Amino acid sequence: MTSGPYNYSYIFKYIIIGDMGVGKSCLLHQFTEKKFMADCPHTIGVEFGTRIIEVAGQKIKLQIWDTAGQERFRAVTRSYYRGAAGALMVYDITRRSTYNHLSSWLTDTRNLTNPSTVIFLIGNKSDLDGQRDVTYEEAKQFADENGLMFVEASAKTGQNVEEAFLETAKKIYQSIQDGRLDLNAAESGVQHKPASPGRPLAAPPAARDHCAC
Amino acid sequence: MWYGHNLQRSYKYMIFASKMPSLRIDQSDLKCKNGCDYFGNPQWQGYCSKCHREQLQRQRRAEKASSATLPKPEKKKPEQIIKLASHSSFSKFEEKRLRQSETLKKANLLKFSVFKKGSADEHDHTPERKLPEFKIPPQVNEGMKREFRVRFSNLPPQVDRESRVFVHNFVMDVIKCSNVMTVDELSERVQRHYQHFMKYMDTSPHFANTESEVKEQLIDFVEKHAMTYLHDLPGVVFSPAGTDDERLDRAMSERIQQLSWVGERHLECRLDRTDSRTGQLLYKAISELLAVDGAPGPGGKLARVRRACRHVLALCGAPASADDLLPALIFTVLKANPPRLVSNINFVTRFCNAQRLMTGEGGYYFTNLCCAVSFIENLTAESLNMDKKEFDCYMAMPASIGGSTWAAALSLCGAVREAEEQRLQAERLLEDVKTLRANTIQLATNAETFEKEIAHKVQDVLAKTPLEIKPRREPPKLSSLRNSTIPLIDLDTPVQTPVQIKPPEEIPQIQIPEINPVEETATMTFDKTNDGESTQNIIDFQSLDKPSPPKSPQNQPWELKQTGSFELLTPSPLGFIPFDSRSIDEVMTPDEFGSDHLAPGLSNINYDIDLSDFSGDNSLAEDTPKEPKDPFSPDGIKKEPIFDPFQPQTSQSPYNTVLEKFDEFSLVDTKSNEISEAFEVVHKTQNPSTVDFRPNTVPESTDPFSPVQKEASILDDSGSPTAASLLPSPLQPQTSKQS
Repeated sequence: MTSGPYNYSYIFKYIIIGDMGVGKSCLLHQFTEKKFMADCPHTIGVEFGTRIIEVAGQKIKLQIWDTAGQERFRAVTRSYYRGAAGALMVYDITRRSTYNHLSSWLTDTRNLTNPSTVIFLIGNKSDLDGQRDVTYEEAKQFADENGLMFVEASAKTGQNVEEAFLETAKKIYQSIQDGRLDLNAAESGVQHKPASPGRPLAAPPAARDHCAC
Repeated sequence: MWYGHNLQRSYKYMIFASKMPSLRIDQSDLKCKNGCDYFGNPQWQGYCSKCHREQLQRQRRAEKASSATLPKPEKKKPEQIIKLASHSSFSKFEEKRLRQSETLKKANLLKFSVFKKGSADEHDHTPERKLPEFKIPPQVNEGMKREFRVRFSNLPPQVDRESRVFVHNFVMDVIKCSNVMTVDELSERVQRHYQHFMKYMDTSPHFANTESEVKEQLIDFVEKHAMTYLHDLPGVVFSPAGTDDERLDRAMSERIQQLSWVGERHLECRLDRTDSRTGQLLYKAISELLAVDGAPGPGGKLARVRRACRHVLALCGAPASADDLLPALIFTVLKANPPRLVSNINFVTRFCNAQRLMTGEGGYYFTNLCCAVSFIENLTAESLNMDKKEFDCYMAMPASIGGSTWAAALSLCGAVREAEEQRLQAERLLEDVKTLRANTIQLATNAETFEKEIAHKVQDVLAKTPLEIKPRREPPKLSSLRNSTIPLIDLDTPVQTPVQIKPPEEIPQIQIPEINPVEETATMTFDKTNDGESTQNIIDFQSLDKPSPPKSPQNQPWELKQTGSFELLTPSPLGFIPFDSRSIDEVMTPDEFGSDHLAPGLSNINYDIDLSDFSGDNSLAEDTPKEPKDPFSPDGIKKEPIFDPFQPQTSQSPYNTVLEKFDEFSLVDTKSNEISEAFEVVHKTQNPSTVDFRPNTVPESTDPFSPVQKEASILDDSGSPTAASLLPSPLQPQTSKQS
């Protein structure tokens, strides 16, 4: 087993989707930097949008991609979805419109990712409870109907942010253990990094036979 | 010009063979077409060289005349050119580039047709012949080796080797498959190669303790080297043959030109055109985007994209998110219109390591770029939130009009940037000038201090070593030599006298300590310089004979020198020459000497030869006979110096000029030795080398002993030199006989 802070067994790729201004970037920032973005100017480090977590004793590197939420870019942002193991679907509890768009986001996600992709619904800005426009129950019901995990979180206070990311990772890891997620598929969004020594470089890749030369 | 007949015939034969199946060539066929008698040459269109040249000149003249009469073709359509220029200054370049790339592609197709089945059928022999040409140039291997050593020094050497082998196989495989596979298949194949290498890294024992970061770097490294080479092969991986990447490039470029009117307002991105910082960042981002095309490997391209996007992100303001990044990036791409955009994007998507593309900052930004490009491709009035009619209006208007404000702003940025760079350069130059000035000042001060120091030192030296008088006193060593010379002749009598008269008082005190070191040096010099100081030798020789028997403490040095000279002189037959020369005075004597040591018959012959050897001596020897009166001459006759002693005595007048010069020295040196001056001068003239004189003169003055000698010698020289010299001469023959 590998050791050291930068060694990990898996890489999970997440995407954060949702309407513009729901706080996707803030959630990401809160998770990776443990700070609210408005408090400190956003800086992009060498390790971009990543954080290493531990699930069931396995170190997992989360690679999280923020996406543009504008409606007009919806058609062109499908390349974001490619190879995502987890999708965090975010709406703003103070803006009903963002909640109403969830179904179209969900459709996109379902269409553009593989079936094993874990989708997590996050109602952001839970700290602004007074301006709430979408009730917890309503969202919870939507999530249950569509088989999504759901939590209300606050990027500002950090409430539930950690949990949302970790729960998603656990779910993904679970599906790996169950064998539902094929690690060898290029679009799985999961890279396994086995650290056990084994055979040296073997013969070149297969599929040579049909070569005409 | 003119070939041999046979050669030309065979050449002609080959040329006309097709024309004349009869295989017979008439002599006239080989002649110049003009009908002159010279042979023609097919290279010169069948003319001889002379006629061919004339023909060429005629043609050229005709061309000139025709071009002068006809209107120039360029004049025909100036308006069109202007229109083109106004349309876009870029178009010309674009056309040229496309033409170039097409020709490149053709060349490439030819080059790689080897691998095509069809071509193989047509030319059965070509594949075997051409295959070896597809060796990967050694630079790839060398470059990998070098970089591996620098970057992965921790990894075992087997990894280096295996990764190079991998890259080699990889490249060969891709080249081989590039013509039999579609691009997508090839891309898949490449991805399999990457996966294979990653599997190797995961399973190989060499990577047991390697961190995953290093592994990622290694796969990037492998990808970089493989793809950098493949990228430069036209049509293999970059805008490959069989795809319409190139057409799409052109279409994209045109579309972006058409959309140049799209501004930040349409994209709803927060950009302040008036802010100079915005302009700068945009300019930087654009330059990075333009540089993407120049980067050879997918990794390099990704790095450029990453840098461009960071600038774009900075452009958006502090709390930037993807919501801001994408529109800003679209705007940047629209303003940049990067060359071969589609080809570049496709190249990276197809042949970059897929895992790299799906993760990491580069992958993320690249994905954003893809989104931006696809947005631009599918841009409609709706996507810009504007009226369809307005959109159509914009699209219908000439591309040069739209976006002029931003174009102006950007060109301003460019100018500002250039100015900034020039300012920086000026600053650097200024700095250089400053340092240069400081250096010059430093140098000047250094020179000044150096000058002062030198002056100081000179003064010190001058202070330490006072007036001219001193240096003359200093060299006492050679004085002994001088002494030797003087006494050589004179001492004969005086040496005996001083020893008897004054030795107890002065000699032991000063002379002995001084002379002893001199003796050694003197002997050395004698050994080395037989010819040059032959005079001294001779003198010594003379003196040897005499002083050796008496052996006073003062004379010991002399004896040593004399012995040295003896050693040199005796072994050679020349050693006997002196005796012969002596005999010259008494013409008959040589035979007697010869009879003593050599066969009588030989002695006669030797005598002649000896004279010839010492040509200078001979002449002198001839002179000497004129002065045979002196018994001295036989003693010193060996060489010139022998005469010298006589000459001063006999002919003082010719040497007067020389003597006067030396007199000055002598006067200065030995003010006390007024009487001795004359004597000294005589000796100086005897010795050809001046160096010997000075030391000689000085020591004399210093040595208390010398004056005594001089006095004695003077007396001898002036009074009865002959008598003094007469005595030694008889002695020498005796000694020589003894030896």
